[in-house]
Amino acid sequence: MQATTTPTTGVRRSRPLRAAVIGAGLIGLDLAMKIQRSAELDCRLVTARDEDAPGLRAARDLGCRVSADGVDAVLATADPYDIVFDASNATAHPAHWQALEPLGCLVVDLTPSGVGHAVVPAVNGDTLPVHRNLNLVSCGGQACVPILHALSSRYRPSYVEVVTTAANLSVGRATRLNLDEYLATTRDAVRASTGTSAVKTILNLSPARPPATFRVAMSFQSEDMDQRVVGDLVHDAADRVRAFVPGFRVRACTVTDGVAFVAVEVEASGDRIPSYAGNLDIINSAAVLVAEQYARQQASLPGTEVTRR
Amino acid sequence: MNEAAGDRPAVRIYDPTLRDGHHAVRHDLGEAQLRAYAAAADRARVPVVEVGHGNGLGASSLQVGRARLTDDVMLSAVRAELRHSRMGAFMLPGWGTADDLRMAIDHGVDVVRIGAHCTESDVTERHLGFLRDAGVEAHATLLMSHMCTPAQLGRACEQMAGFGAQAVGIFDSAGHFLPEDVTERISAIRGAVDVPVIFHGHNNLGSAVANSIAAVRAGATIIDGCARGFGAGAGNTQLEVLVPVLERLGYPTGIDLYRLLDAADLAERELMPAPPTISSESIVSGLAGVFSGFRNRVLDVAAREQVDPRDIFFELGRRQAVAGQEDLIVDVAMSLRTASL
Repeated sequence: MQATTTPTTGVRRSRPLRAAVIGAGLIGLDLAMKIQRSAELDCRLVTARDEDAPGLRAARDLGCRVSADGVDAVLATADPYDIVFDASNATAHPAHWQALEPLGCLVVDLTPSGVGHAVVPAVNGDTLPVHRNLNLVSCGGQACVPILHALSSRYRPSYVEVVTTAANLSVGRATRLNLDEYLATTRDAVRASTGTSAVKTILNLSPARPPATFRVAMSFQSEDMDQRVVGDLVHDAADRVRAFVPGFRVRACTVTDGVAFVAVEVEASGDRIPSYAGNLDIINSAAVLVAEQYARQQASLPGTEVTRR
Repeated sequence: MNEAAGDRPAVRIYDPTLRDGHHAVRHDLGEAQLRAYAAAADRARVPVVEVGHGNGLGASSLQVGRARLTDDVMLSAVRAELRHSRMGAFMLPGWGTADDLRMAIDHGVDVVRIGAHCTESDVTERHLGFLRDAGVEAHATLLMSHMCTPAQLGRACEQMAGFGAQAVGIFDSAGHFLPEDVTERISAIRGAVDVPVIFHGHNNLGSAVANSIAAVRAGATIIDGCARGFGAGAGNTQLEVLVPVLERLGYPTGIDLYRLLDAADLAERELMPAPPTISSESIVSGLAGVFSGFRNRVLDVAAREQVDPRDIFFELGRRQAVAGQEDLIVDVAMSLRTASL
């Protein structure tokens, strides 16, 4: 191991890349599981600020090294990480980014901080290489932006509305404290992908039992929309998302009075999280996908081969 | 503020006519209507006059209906008419944000209520903290409170008081309660908190005034009422009935009866095509425990999809839909239509 090598852009590493996760809430824990399943990534650390976080114990059971020192545990290592996932809290992310930026690692931010470059893989996955801080927007953003971007490629919207409903059991404390950031970051991503500033975002938490499947309802107001064209655009976009989120389904797609109404639901699949928690599945699958793209890009770049023991 | 023979009001009346009433008229009140009622309520010395979209600050949307006026215009209009009454606003986290609270504060709002579905009281933490830091009176209210046990409501209210709420309480958003249900719940909340307790009734099962009296007897000291019951579904607790009934029972409110009756007459004349009645659909809605504000949307969708609106209400109740989930109405109607084919 060449411990003296700093991981800067262009340094070529052997796979799998070393990953750390900040945050051991619902998102952080599921993310750690998904990273462990990836052939391109190795989850070397899960760190939180609360020693008693149940997610830390679960992460240890997964075989990850855990710490209650938060971002300091990431900085303290002699063996730097290639990728750091921030699944903590939108208000904590700016300080995390400030601490991590000098390390040169890729930062993948799952909080709705809005700090980094917004990434929705099915739409702008090809813009990643130049950015060191990638923001995954929000779970609702991951579900709605591909659909709304597709509709906007054909129709010019005058107003767009997105209503997300998540099962209360699938929404942890950090998200509950970050509702304003969630709404704003999702709104900004929708604005950027549709070209209209007239965007309203809403979030409901459902207490239903059995828990309601994660759902995102979109209203897209425009002129002269054709039901069949809208249907084709929506289903093509859904297919692109389904490539990495198999539980993504279109539940409604209608055009009434100048408004295309599209509702999608996301069932989580393939992990230990319950099927209703599609919100966790879609944002974490997107995060792992962009990290894997980065890993492959690193492997194909000319540069110093860094070998591992 | 109280001019009723020096009596200290035992019950503080809170008047959401210009907020909850918006549900009854598709959020379509105009500026002159807001001003006229606010001035009338002010003359009657109603302690707090709340204004806004039916679902609160920032809620105007296709999902729950677009308001004719912006929040900004509504707050300006009412503020200009209040000399004695304080101005209230309502906000649901997930719908409105701290930006909306800032805007309301700039308009001189005196009291803001942060609402949450009854099982999700922790979402109020950040905005209650924001209001306290801003020095605005902050209340916290639990919606659809029939979906929780009395003990759960007590714990949720205790949590919100811990977040800084200066009054806490429950909305009977579906109009599902009978008086003994209210007694149990308010008693549990009184036992859990030291701050004043709020009750907000709906009249789907004809019990709103009786429920409010039960709440007062169990220790609630802030009671909501709307002129002519102007509000979602079958309407709210009828303000001009509630106040004299409380007075007769020995709970002074500080409100001038004749002026209050004048305000109610004005409301009937100026704000609504007709006072709310307990329609057949509203009875079903109350029995099913569905948010009263769904009424107009359910009726629209039922007519379009040719299904029985009563079936839609019962199915929404079965799915435990909460306020804000209006997008489910179409799904439910479609599935009922498919099932009937």
